[in-house]
Amino acid sequence: MNAPDRYERFVVPEGTKKVSYERDTKIVNAASFTIEREDHTIGNIVRMQLHRDPNVLFAGYKLPHPLQYKIIVRIHTTSQSSPTQAYSQAISDLDKELEYLKQAFEDEKNRREQRQELP
Amino acid sequence: MDRPAAGASYQRFPRVRIRELRDDYAKFELRDTDASMANALRRVMIAEVPTVAIDLVEIEVNSSVLNDEFIAHRLGLIPLTSAAAMQMRFSRDCDACDGDGSCEYCSVEFHLAARAESDQTLEVTSNDLRSNDPKVCPVDQARAYQQALSGSDFDPNTGDQRGILIVKLRRGQELRLRAIARKGIGKDHAKWSPAATVTFMYEPDIRINEELMETLTLDEKRSWVESSPTKVFAIDPITEQVRVADAEEYTYDDEVIKKAEAMGKPGLVEINAKEDSFIFTVETTGAITAYELIMNAITVLRQKLDAVRLQDDDGDLGELDAHLGGP
Ligand SMILES: [Zn+2]
Repeated sequence: MNAPDRYERFVVPEGTKKVSYERDTKIVNAASFTIEREDHTIGNIVRMQLHRDPNVLFAGYKLPHPLQYKIIVRIHTTSQSSPTQAYSQAISDLDKELEYLKQAFEDEKNRREQRQELP
Repeated sequence: MDRPAAGASYQRFPRVRIRELRDDYAKFELRDTDASMANALRRVMIAEVPTVAIDLVEIEVNSSVLNDEFIAHRLGLIPLTSAAAMQMRFSRDCDACDGDGSCEYCSVEFHLAARAESDQTLEVTSNDLRSNDPKVCPVDQARAYQQALSGSDFDPNTGDQRGILIVKLRRGQELRLRAIARKGIGKDHAKWSPAATVTFMYEPDIRINEELMETLTLDEKRSWVESSPTKVFAIDPITEQVRVADAEEYTYDDEVIKKAEAMGKPGLVEINAKEDSFIFTVETTGAITAYELIMNAITVLRQKLDAVRLQDDDGDLGELDAHLGGP
């Protein structure tokens, strides 16, 4: 009866920002990103990609509660970089990786079809 | 410590090898990426690649033994051909029918009418559903149609061709309804999931210490090989040497390692999971092909990443904060 609507898990409510950014008040180059309506799928790949960046001193994410449909990504970088820069770089690196992967799949499928036609 | 300047790319370049590819099944190797990417792809394939499924049922007549809700639920679970789902609109985003969710851009209408006239029990199946869009129909109807086109023998009453049973009617009972199928994702309801199974495993790296192995008698070798619950190792009948028969049969159960220790031969075998190599098994419900499922998962994951990019105003605000009150 009072169950939340199922779509609330993935539809960002009107007037809510998908990503909001909050700087840490005590530590330089540290910030938290609150991402609405996302879960481990995005949280974990972003975190692991951030770990590949040597300017990132800390990167972690949490899903605060299973019924609060948001994740919080926390990033601390060296002075060579900034949390927003590291975050944006991680997203575009992941995007390029997936673009590459898609091409790799298409190429592999074509190669396979040619192999099967030959004999 | 020297760190590269910000702005450098840390992109990976994954490699793929497809081992098996059929309409509803794929097995492939994914290398040079990490578990987070493999798992994100798995999660997206299961819960976020869209398909079409029956979502609204208006029952005109139902004198069957099953109640209306029960039948509506069963209709929802019938896989429908969803190759067009990626291009369709979600009803909640559709402006052509303002949220009513029944226009051609966001929905497909089905009709079903069945009445048992004879003494024989009538089986109402997915084959009785009539779609108003030839692209979207129950998957077994589509398969039967394909087989009929290719001219292979087709008997609608045997094996797979019988369709998915919805309800059985006895003489005089009737079922008549109208159903609306909509685009959706598995996260909303499992009926929209195109995935029957999606799993991945780490590729095992198995190294036998040959020197130590040769200190075992044939009987000891046999009992060690048999200690594995799956057929990972085998003994060569001629050389009587232990070899790896199928590394991927290993389930990371540690049984052979414990057995070696119990035999007083620790280090007899070393097994490690290769952390950047994955073997995927993908099986679909037939709503889309396994290849489409993989490609759509990549597309959906890219769309998700695009949605979480910082907007220009986010970045500027951050910089502004830094100037105004930052330390
Ligand atoms: Zn519509």
